[in-house]
Amino acid sequence: MEDQSQSSDSRKCSAVTGSGRKLKDNAADWHNLILRWEKLNDEGSGVAEKIVNQRLKLSPGEGATPPPSAAPPSCSQLEQECTKLLGVVSKMAAIVTRMERLASSQRGVLELEGFQWGAAGRGAPLFHGWPTRLFVELSQGLLESYQKELALKQRVVQELAHTGPLDVCMVYLSCWLYQPYIPADSRLTLEALLLETGHRAL
Amino acid sequence: MSMPSSFALQQALRKSFQHLETNQKTWHSVLAECNPLVGSVGNLAQQLRALSNVNISNTPLKAFPDLQERLHFKLVQALDIVLEKLNEKLVLLQSVRDSNSNHVTAAFQLYERNADTLDLYACTQRSPVAPSIADMLEWLQNAELYYKQQFLKRKTLLHSLRPDDLSLLESTPKRWDSLETLSGEEYITDTLFRVSFFVESHKGE
Repeated sequence: MEDQSQSSDSRKCSAVTGSGRKLKDNAADWHNLILRWEKLNDEGSGVAEKIVNQRLKLSPGEGATPPPSAAPPSCSQLEQECTKLLGVVSKMAAIVTRMERLASSQRGVLELEGFQWGAAGRGAPLFHGWPTRLFVELSQGLLESYQKELALKQRVVQELAHTGPLDVCMVYLSCWLYQPYIPADSRLTLEALLLETGHRAL
Repeated sequence: MSMPSSFALQQALRKSFQHLETNQKTWHSVLAECNPLVGSVGNLAQQLRALSNVNISNTPLKAFPDLQERLHFKLVQALDIVLEKLNEKLVLLQSVRDSNSNHVTAAFQLYERNADTLDLYACTQRSPVAPSIADMLEWLQNAELYYKQQFLKRKTLLHSLRPDDLSLLESTPKRWDSLETLSGEEYITDTLFRVSFFVESHKGE
């Protein structure tokens, strides 16, 4: 309730319309999508850990022999966890689809500007100082890193329950947890976007 | 003759032991906060080791050629953050050590200043509720030494870590735990028990 009233307040105060409105809403959407992604990532890493642990119990390789009675129930458990992780990845895929739509709408704003103002672009910036092109470039950068990360996760989720050596399993887990394709400065990019569009006070 | 100075010294000792007690608690709680961090150092080292053992191009992840270095970067970055947090904890441990040392030094200075008026009898006299001044000074000194050594050992351990020395990183949790000397901790607790009547008496004065 409170959030809603706050956001409607800020909308009234800022009274941005047109392209500015669109870019500002997009920035908020980026923020929300990335937050949801992080939440899903945390959820997924717990599940992925369980999968690897159970799989190691089922086929411990060179090490100890498992109690034979424990095997059959774990199999169904393993399947359950795998289904859960697949669910997480498909939700992540949905997020990336929405990110694609955001990026393309931002490109649309830039094209509209080109149509209205010609190659030189608009005279004054929409917000504090960024040219519209910068919004497009940044969101494209964010989109590409999340697309790559999604591709990696889709691969990992396919292999996680099948692959042999412990080291490879470990690499899968660290891939999931530490998200190698999301650059360390993506958080900064997002914050800059929020600052520029006025979601964060300067 | 020596009554006023021995009384002042006893008050200083009382204060030192009270501080020793709070310091022991703080020390414990900071160490408890360190444990998960030290655990993650070992964990990250294991992940780095696994990554260095795996040749990505021989795994189903070969479609991601730059994965190895990217993941390595992220892991080292995470390690960096954990070590930084541990460093902050180290600063807390240092402040416990320092505050303890300060109180012990203050008690000793007071003793040295009054050493002329305090005869052997006054220093070694003990009663059922109060240990002798000499004993208490010794216990305080031992406790101070314990914290100094503990701090130095832990600091040396953390400062010897290098991101490229995986075996050192992997053994960190074990070595960190091995620094915990039960006898040292017990000594402090015993000391506090021994002086508990003495600290409780004259508390209001």
